[in-house]
Amino acid sequence: MTMARESFQMVSSLVRRETSMVYDEGKEYLVEARLLPLAVAAGCTVDEYCRKLSIDFAERRKALDALTINETSWFRDQGPYQAFTDTMLPALLQARSTTRRLRIWSAACSSGQEAYSIAMLLDQHLPAGWSAEILATDVSTAMLARVKTGRYSQVEMNRGMPATSLVRYFTRVGSEWEIVPKLKAMVTTRHLNLSAPYLGVPTFDLVLLRNVLIYFDKTTKADILRRMLSHVASDGYLLLGSSESTLDLPPDLAPRWRREQIGRVQAHRPTGVPAPRPSPASSLVPTGA
Amino acid sequence: MSQLAPEITDVHAIVDEVWRSFLGEAEPLLARPVPAGTPFDSAAVWSASVSVTGGWQGTVTVEVDERVAAELTRQMLGVPDTADEDVADAVGELVNMVGGNVKSLMPGPSTLSLPSVAAGRAAFASESVEVARLDALWAGQPVRVTVHTAAQ
Amino acid sequence: MRAMIIDDSRAMRSILRRILAGLDFETAEAGHGQEALDQMTAGPVPDLCLVDWNMPVMDGYTFISTVRRNAEWRNVTLMMVTTESEHTQIVRALAAGAHEYVIKPFTPDAIVDKLELLGLVSKGALA
Ligand SMILES: C[S@@+](CC[C@H](N)C(=O)[O-])C[C@H]1O[C@@H](n2cnc3c(N)ncnc32)[C@H](O)[C@@H]1O
Repeated sequence: MTMARESFQMVSSLVRRETSMVYDEGKEYLVEARLLPLAVAAGCTVDEYCRKLSIDFAERRKALDALTINETSWFRDQGPYQAFTDTMLPALLQARSTTRRLRIWSAACSSGQEAYSIAMLLDQHLPAGWSAEILATDVSTAMLARVKTGRYSQVEMNRGMPATSLVRYFTRVGSEWEIVPKLKAMVTTRHLNLSAPYLGVPTFDLVLLRNVLIYFDKTTKADILRRMLSHVASDGYLLLGSSESTLDLPPDLAPRWRREQIGRVQAHRPTGVPAPRPSPASSLVPTGA
Repeated sequence: MSQLAPEITDVHAIVDEVWRSFLGEAEPLLARPVPAGTPFDSAAVWSASVSVTGGWQGTVTVEVDERVAAELTRQMLGVPDTADEDVADAVGELVNMVGGNVKSLMPGPSTLSLPSVAAGRAAFASESVEVARLDALWAGQPVRVTVHTAAQ
Repeated sequence: MRAMIIDDSRAMRSILRRILAGLDFETAEAGHGQEALDQMTAGPVPDLCLVDWNMPVMDGYTFISTVRRNAEWRNVTLMMVTTESEHTQIVRALAAGAHEYVIKPFTPDAIVDKLELLGLVSKGALA
């Protein structure tokens, strides 16, 4: 029982159009495994379900949520969090000593483990009298709802959560664990598609843009990194996923970001070099010309 | 029902997690409606139960078709062939995981017994009442988890 | 690195053994706490113990408390791997000397993540 080719193509172009995520041929089994429970719930086969998607908006939301790759974990890769505590946070505490306020953005936050991992570190290391705000955004509304609820299954809790933090920051609710209100209050959620303009998004001291660029094509990646320049403070940091940090930047961007080795990770920092003089026809000229 | 019972959605979530963790995502566990009182509809069955005593008293029972039991055993032990004692061990660990997590849904402190496993349908004490039941299909074969408490 | 897997289920020991083998651990196994203590007294001391809670003869909580009282075993890292999942049980195990805690069911990634937290394996060890 494998899904029809047309169904796969229809679904992969839907995902691409709405999220920029690329599902290559050969990923049929993955798409099918993710859609099967929805199809069963709707009382039809996967192929029938795919046809339904073109007319049923609510069902389409559900399918998109099921198809985006949400894999995440607490303190994922550890290195970035170590670097945050040891280096970035002390530097920011000096730099922001007049405002005593930190702003952090978890872009592509998935179910919120990244945002709450940072919240736990801030709870432990932010001096009294300081405040911090964490913005968590994602293209998936289902994921944003999960961040707001702040509840995690046993299996999710096992993924990288130190036992001492589990007992300190979570309470048991049914079969799940819920993050304490004090940390929930630090995190604000918002729907945001990384491949569309970022309207009303301020500047941050730290942006975590991790494990999402890998799903986009080259042009989309570059567009996002170009737009991110206006959302990272001049003395702030951008953290990419461990396989994304060595990304090749297009010529216009290369001088505008610099990589800095911090502990085991590479952070991207704005150089302050201005954008190349805009040319009205630039979008028509092939890049690298 | 006056007996203290776990929420069925929580029981479902627990069983689903056990299944996903040890059998992977390729074959989902699909819930199915089965009228109360229907005997477990499989010719060859493995059953296992654990009891909880303390702040809450009850028994958690898992019944699975023998093909499900055999596949679970193969996956857990990582071997192609399974003897009965292997199946008994794997099904015992299965009910231990489900039962331990069900225990944590209920008022404590309580202790969990070691599992008891049988080839064949589960037998329930006549003075016990069923307070939660989950029927599901895995790879087309039936799976049932029931929670009983002593009648008051 | 040497690890001891202490669980009364052979199926569970087999799962954990395969995960640890993939991380280049040498493994030994015991079906309950007393058997594990006997092995540790007689043979090489493991760097890591994965410990179930509910077992016949000697449970994992007693095992952990016993290991922590013996100065010779000071360097052994103790990680509970159990279906006991109440907040209070985790607090008890940590107070008795467990370094980490994994709740069953778990995926192989969870074991790797925790061993990374404990500094026993380095990132990307599991290819
Ligand atoms: C693999 S998760 C990464 C989560 C987290 N940043 C981490 O590193 O663990 C990728 C997330 O990106 C989100 N995503 C995919 N396309 C997106 C887009 N165009 N805009 C915003 N978020 C997107 C998905 O919904 C998913 O939650």
